[in-house]
Amino acid sequence: MSLEELAFLALAAVALFTGVAALLVRELVHTILWIAVFFVDISAIYFLLEAPFLGVLQLGVYAGAVTVLLLFGVMLTRKRIFSREAVTGIGAVPLALATVTFIFAVTAVGELPQAAQPVRAYDPSLLSEALFTTYGPYLLLLGLVMMGAVAGAIYLVREGRE
Amino acid sequence: MTALPLVGFLALSSALFAVGLFGILTRRNFILVLIAIEIAMNAAILNFVYFGAFSGGTGGLSGQAIAVVLIGFAATEVAVGLAIVLALNRLKGTINVAQANDLKL
Repeated sequence: MSLEELAFLALAAVALFTGVAALLVRELVHTILWIAVFFVDISAIYFLLEAPFLGVLQLGVYAGAVTVLLLFGVMLTRKRIFSREAVTGIGAVPLALATVTFIFAVTAVGELPQAAQPVRAYDPSLLSEALFTTYGPYLLLLGLVMMGAVAGAIYLVREGRE
Repeated sequence: MTALPLVGFLALSSALFAVGLFGILTRRNFILVLIAIEIAMNAAILNFVYFGAFSGGTGGLSGQAIAVVLIGFAATEVAVGLAIVLALNRLKGTINVAQANDLKL
């Protein structure tokens, strides 16, 4: 087993563990700490896949902005941020549904070749060129949607609504 | 040159999507539901990057470009989601999704 495969297995184990831990721990602030580790781990997977620009973007947007935004959400909606969540059960039906989804997806994946394939590396400058030429419309659409979303978010939280 | 099996990556993102789905269906706190959506969305974005990294030609660049756009959309979604959380908290005094049932018949 090569070093990259060992690195992938370790990163996958950490991603699964932190994802599950984030949803099962009792205190909401601990959830946000776990999800921050999850985002950093996903960023490491991007670096492993030779996509450094996406890795940095994941660190900046998810591990940075989204985590802080969620922390603000927790701080603004409760009096003591370390107060515990009421116990919610595991829920047999959702657990079964998630398991069936997982088994279905893995069975579909089983048809693909199992051997290790080379990972293609692209220069970040090529990616930026593609983003502003071939995928320019998508980037423009993202900008428009973001503008609308920010306007909507301000409308939702503004003071003095009827 | 890095060589990795594609199947392992796909199994990882299926598992992460299943974890996210489970969280969306069982958690009662709105912020936890948002976090579960983020986990599922990260699993989906990872898929684009895998298929890009393992495909020939300029396929990898399409995968990465779409992933960049999707990360932006996910961040937008969190911003709107937290605005809804704050509005719900002001309206109801709680962010339990089970109590946000005004549209129920």
